[in-house]
Amino acid sequence: MAEQHTHAHAHHHGEKHTHISRGTYYRVFAALMVLMVLTVAAWWVEKNLIELPGWLAVTIAMSIAIAKTVLIVLYFMHVKISSRMTQVYAAGAFVWLIILFVITMGDYVARGWPPQAGPLP
Amino acid sequence: MSTLSLPQTSYIRDNSRTFTDWLKSWLLTVDHKRIAILYLLAINFFFLLGGLAATLVRVELITPQGDLMSSDVYNRAFTLHGVIMVFFFLIPSIPAVLGNFLVPLMIGARDLAFPRLNLLSWYLYMIGGIFALIAAVFGGVDTGWTFYTPFSSTYSNSNVVMTITGAFIMGFSSILTGLNFIVTIHKMRAPGLTWFRLPLFIWANYATSIIQILATPVLGIALLLVVVERLWGVGIYDPALGGDPLLFQHLFWFYSHPAVYIMILPAMGVISELISTFSRKRIFGYEFIAFSSIAIAILGFLVWGHHMFVSSQSVYAGLVFSFITMLVAIPSAIKVFNWTATLYKGSISYRTPMLYALGFIGLFVIGGLTGIFLGVTAVDLHVTDTYFVVAHFHYVMVGGTIMAYLGGIHFWWPKMTGRMYNETWGGIAALIIFVGFNMTFFPQFILGYLGMPRRYHVYPPEFQILHVMSTAGASILAIGFIVPLIYLGISLRKGAIAGDNPWGATGLEWKTSSPPPTFNFDKTPIVTEEAYAYPPEAAERDAAAWRPGSPL
Ligand SMILES: [Cu+2]
Repeated sequence: MAEQHTHAHAHHHGEKHTHISRGTYYRVFAALMVLMVLTVAAWWVEKNLIELPGWLAVTIAMSIAIAKTVLIVLYFMHVKISSRMTQVYAAGAFVWLIILFVITMGDYVARGWPPQAGPLP
Repeated sequence: MSTLSLPQTSYIRDNSRTFTDWLKSWLLTVDHKRIAILYLLAINFFFLLGGLAATLVRVELITPQGDLMSSDVYNRAFTLHGVIMVFFFLIPSIPAVLGNFLVPLMIGARDLAFPRLNLLSWYLYMIGGIFALIAAVFGGVDTGWTFYTPFSSTYSNSNVVMTITGAFIMGFSSILTGLNFIVTIHKMRAPGLTWFRLPLFIWANYATSIIQILATPVLGIALLLVVVERLWGVGIYDPALGGDPLLFQHLFWFYSHPAVYIMILPAMGVISELISTFSRKRIFGYEFIAFSSIAIAILGFLVWGHHMFVSSQSVYAGLVFSFITMLVAIPSAIKVFNWTATLYKGSISYRTPMLYALGFIGLFVIGGLTGIFLGVTAVDLHVTDTYFVVAHFHYVMVGGTIMAYLGGIHFWWPKMTGRMYNETWGGIAALIIFVGFNMTFFPQFILGYLGMPRRYHVYPPEFQILHVMSTAGASILAIGFIVPLIYLGISLRKGAIAGDNPWGATGLEWKTSSPPPTFNFDKTPIVTEEAYAYPPEAAERDAAAWRPGSPL
């Protein structure tokens, strides 16, 4: 693996950054810590200060979670500096996650619809 | 290469002096071919075990009363059969054995991209298997292989957690194999081996790998959540805790419908190889077969709700799932038509692997078409949870996957071992399996349509005749599975030396010695032609000069 790394570095220099600096790792780590504090804070605010409507609370929690995921996937999992094919596969995984969520939610949303409303009497 | 003796060096031979060294050389190997052999042994062991559980089920069903076992023991018997056969036989069978052995050979590589990861996946498989076995020994599970909630999460007091842990660990083995194949196929093809020169077996395994890495994690999380709810009372599936039992079915079938294609796609890849080789013709419609694998892999993710028509799923969701299910028939039919067209004007030789391939086509057509019956909501309402469903998926999984697995094992046996099996016995066993299989499962279509529910050990007396037929067929089927074990075993010592290419087949795996050396090729092959490059007149020439050694 190390061999391959230097190899790529020597021959394709400038084509693509094959390296994430230590400073970036620390900054990403700091950002993750901030987001974690935000998660706890959002929970605390909802619990003790203001009664948020469910959809808003979920949206806030999900946004923070997505931000964390993106940082980890891009930097810690090296997707940002990976080949185009790896990026396609990483994105594909999320497309599949969307398929799972959308179709499952399709059932939940339509669950209450009366079958009588359909074409049959 | 001489055809009088096995090659001096091969992946099977090594120069270890003591037994311990020899054992170590196998258990710590990173050679994809040796790992394939390890998988072969382990998977066949689990197959026999799952077959034993099936025997218990079939014997109980000879009489309408529950005289051999109680309903509780019966539940555990069919669950053991299902769990072992699905998770520890069908899912890994063709990819882990034939795929592991053949993917690097077929693309002219010296090994898979991550050899050590490959060994790890075998160990994960074994650890998962040991968990499942321990669960079985200490009383078994009674949930069925589907682990439906709320029974599995709230009510069952059998070894649910242990069994689920086994399936969970096995899932990682499956993911790692898929990952390894994808990277290998992308990065390690021999010079000149473009995507559209790849053997269709490679396309099929590539499509399978996509399913393995995208679907298996969802099964993992669904099962893990059952454990979490059982152990710590977190409300995921239990309505009393704010959960939804149907969520499990969504997550479970998001994996388990595509899992059917993890089983059948590599089988279809094997069949493409066999049909072309034993017709002495280029495969008809190469691109269509290749892309239909990918289409099946993708469409397979959009149809899972057809397992939930009579759950409390919305009827509107059911209609959409029903419609998309019909679409899967298109790429499947494309494959069947293309295989049939390949046979047309071919010089067909009925060697053992070809018998399995032809059997596959017939049985898969029955299994696939009854799948369309089940995809229609109106018909499904009538036959849900009956033996009609049981017959349908056994036609696909046994009639499809196992036929292709056995066909593939026979076809590549000379490559794996360097020796030929007994062709006469091979043909006899294939016919026994075909007859036994149909006698076992065809009556179950009728049983199910008449209303015999699955997973019951007692039934009304009028069903007995069909159940007895089915059990009699299962006995024939069992003989059909044992005969190959015997003659393949004997061939290891007594079989004729195969030589590099006993079938006169195309493909890189036949260009190296049998069995191949550790790093597969003495020098990296360069590919200059497409797959199955039989010259146009090959079939006619072949028919004129009937191949010597052919039994027919
Ligand atoms: Cu399905």
